[in-house]
Amino acid sequence: METAVFRLEGVTKRYGDLVALDNATLSAGENEYISFLGPSGSGKTTLLRVIAGFEQPEQGRVYFQGRDITNTPAHERGIGFVFQNFALFPHLTVIQNIGFGLTHGKHGLSAAEIDRRSREMIDLVGLSGMEDRGVDQISGGQRQRVALARTLTMQPKLVLLDEPLGALDANLRGRMRNELRAIRERLGVTFVHVTGSENEALAMGDRVVVLDRGRIIQSGTSDQIYDTPASPDVAHFLNRFNMFDGTLSGNQFSGVFGTAPVSRASRADRDVYAIRYDRMRVLPVSATPDGPAVKATFIAAEYLGSSIMNFFEASDGHVIEMEHHLSLGAPDSYEPRQDYLLTWNPEQAIVFGREAA
Amino acid sequence: MESRILKPLLGFYVGLFVLFLYGPFVVLTIISFQQGPEGGPQFPIIEWSTYWYRHIFGLTPPSRIAPLPVGEALMRSLILAFMTMVVSTVLGVMSAQAFRRKFKGSTVVFYLIVLGMMVPGVLTGLGTSLLANNVIGIERHWYTTAFATHVAYTFPFAFLVMLAILNRFDASVEEAAWSLGVDPWTTFRKVTFPLIFPGVLSAMLFAFTLSLDEFPRTLFASGRDQTLPLAIYGTFSVEIHPNIFAFGVLTTLFSFALLSVYGILMAMSVRRAKKAAMQEDIA
Repeated sequence: METAVFRLEGVTKRYGDLVALDNATLSAGENEYISFLGPSGSGKTTLLRVIAGFEQPEQGRVYFQGRDITNTPAHERGIGFVFQNFALFPHLTVIQNIGFGLTHGKHGLSAAEIDRRSREMIDLVGLSGMEDRGVDQISGGQRQRVALARTLTMQPKLVLLDEPLGALDANLRGRMRNELRAIRERLGVTFVHVTGSENEALAMGDRVVVLDRGRIIQSGTSDQIYDTPASPDVAHFLNRFNMFDGTLSGNQFSGVFGTAPVSRASRADRDVYAIRYDRMRVLPVSATPDGPAVKATFIAAEYLGSSIMNFFEASDGHVIEMEHHLSLGAPDSYEPRQDYLLTWNPEQAIVFGREAA
Repeated sequence: MESRILKPLLGFYVGLFVLFLYGPFVVLTIISFQQGPEGGPQFPIIEWSTYWYRHIFGLTPPSRIAPLPVGEALMRSLILAFMTMVVSTVLGVMSAQAFRRKFKGSTVVFYLIVLGMMVPGVLTGLGTSLLANNVIGIERHWYTTAFATHVAYTFPFAFLVMLAILNRFDASVEEAAWSLGVDPWTTFRKVTFPLIFPGVLSAMLFAFTLSLDEFPRTLFASGRDQTLPLAIYGTFSVEIHPNIFAFGVLTTLFSFALLSVYGILMAMSVRRAKKAAMQEDIA
C-alpha cells in the first residue's frame, strides 16, 4: 500500500436520492494505466471528479501520495485532469494555455523558465509551430494535445482523463490512444482513463476497473476481465458474450440450448450461461452436434475489417452473435432466413449461478 | 397573396413605431436650432441658428434668459452614475456568481434582489428620505441617500444580466484552471472574468444609463443639491426655451457615443466568445 499513488476508501456520493458512488474502494500504484469502464450513469465520471476534488464525497476518504486529501481543494491537490470537451481557455493562445498553470499558480518560476518548460511540452506533444495560434485555429486532435500538454507541464503524479478521446473521430482516436500510452510511458505518470468503450478500456488499461450503478464490480488486468468476467453484468457490458438464461444445478446448466456440462461456475445473483462470440461454431441444421446447440435463423452479417460478425435469431427472439476472425480463413457464407445450428465447446463457457461455490 | 397584404401592413406598423420612437427627438432637434434669444419652442423656425447651443456654453451675450443651471448638476449626475455603475456591477457579478450554486434561501434572496427594480421609485425615494431624516437622523445627499436608492434600483438589472451570462458559462474551464494548481480567485480573474466580460459591459451600461436619468427616487432622496434630471425639470416650471432642446440633443449624442464605445468593446469580446462557442461545438 505504500507505493499507492492514490487510494479510495468507501467513497460514497449522492445527488439527492441518486447514489452516484456507492462505497467505492480502490487503489492505484505508481506508473500505472488504469481504465474506468462503465455504461453512462455508472458513476465513473463522478469517481474521477471526486479524486480531482471537483466533488465532495458524503462518506469515505481519498488519499493521494499517502496524504488524506478528502478536504483539500482541487487547486492544492496537484492532480491533473483532462476534460472530454478539452476545456481549453478560449481567450488564450496555445502556448498560453500550456503555460497557464505555471504562470498563474504559486511556483515562483521565472518567465524564461515557464517559456522553456512550455516549449518543451509543445515539442513532446508535437505542436511545434502552433505556439501562437488561438485554440480555435487548430484541429480537434491538436486541441486534445493542448489539453494534455497543459496538464503535463505541471508534472503531476496522477492524471485523470475523462473520456479524452470521445470528441475525436475514429481515425484520430486510434492514433491518440497510442500517443497517450507513449507519452505516459515516457513520463512515468499514473493515468486514470474513463471511457464508455470496452475496446478502449481493454486496449489502454494495464488495469481495468468496471463500474455499474455506482459500484466497482470488477478490477483486474484486461485479459482477466475479458476471460473471467466477475459477474453477468460485466460480461454483458464487455459486449463480447452471448448470454443465455437458464438454471444451474450441480454440474449441469439447462437453457434453450439443452443441457450442457459445467466444469466451473462463479457465484452470481442469477443463473447465466455466457459464451464468447468468437467461440461459436455454425453447423448446417441437419448436422448432429457433439455439444450444446441452438437452432437459429441467420439474419445478417457485418464486416468489421479483421473479422465478420454474423447475427442469428433464436426461436425466442434472442439475437445470437458469431464472430469469425478472417485470419482463421475465409468466412462461410450463410443464407438469410435459413436455419442453422449454433454450437460451442462447453469447456469455453463462463457460467454464473446462484448455487455456485 | 398573403405577403401582398401583410407586408405593407407590417411595414406601416414599423413606420409608426419608428415615428413614435424617434419623432419627438426629431422635433426636439429641429427646434434646438431656433433663432435666439427671441425664438421660442415653436414652429415655424424663424431662422436657423446655433444660438441655443452657444447659450448652453455661455458663449452668447447676456440676455434676459438665464443660462441652464446644469453645469454642476451634470457633474453630479455623471459622478453618481459612475459610482452606481461600479458598485452595482460589482455587486451584480458577485451575487450572480453566488447563485451558480444552489444555497439555502436562494429563492428568497433572488426575489429580494429583484424587488429593487419592481417597487415604485417614488416610494423608495420617499421611504429612503424618511428613513434618513427621521429614523437614522442623517442629512440627505445625492452621493449618500440618493446613491443608495440608485444602487438598489440598478443592482437587480446588473444581477439579471450576469445571471443570464453565467447560466450559459461552461464551468469546466474553471475546473481545468483549478486542476492546474491555480487558486479560485486567480481563476476568476484570468479565466472567468475575461470570458464573461461582454456581460459585464452590458451590466455596466444598464447601471450607468438607468442611474443617469433616474428621476423619482432621486427626487426625494437627493437633498439640497440636484442631479441633472431634477435640475432640468426645475427649469420647466419657469418658462421653456429651446436651450433645453439643445441640451437634450447634446445628451442624446453623448448616449450614442457611449453606445458606440459599448458596441466596439462588445465586438471585441464577442470574437472571444465565438471562440468559446466553437470549442463547445466540438464537445
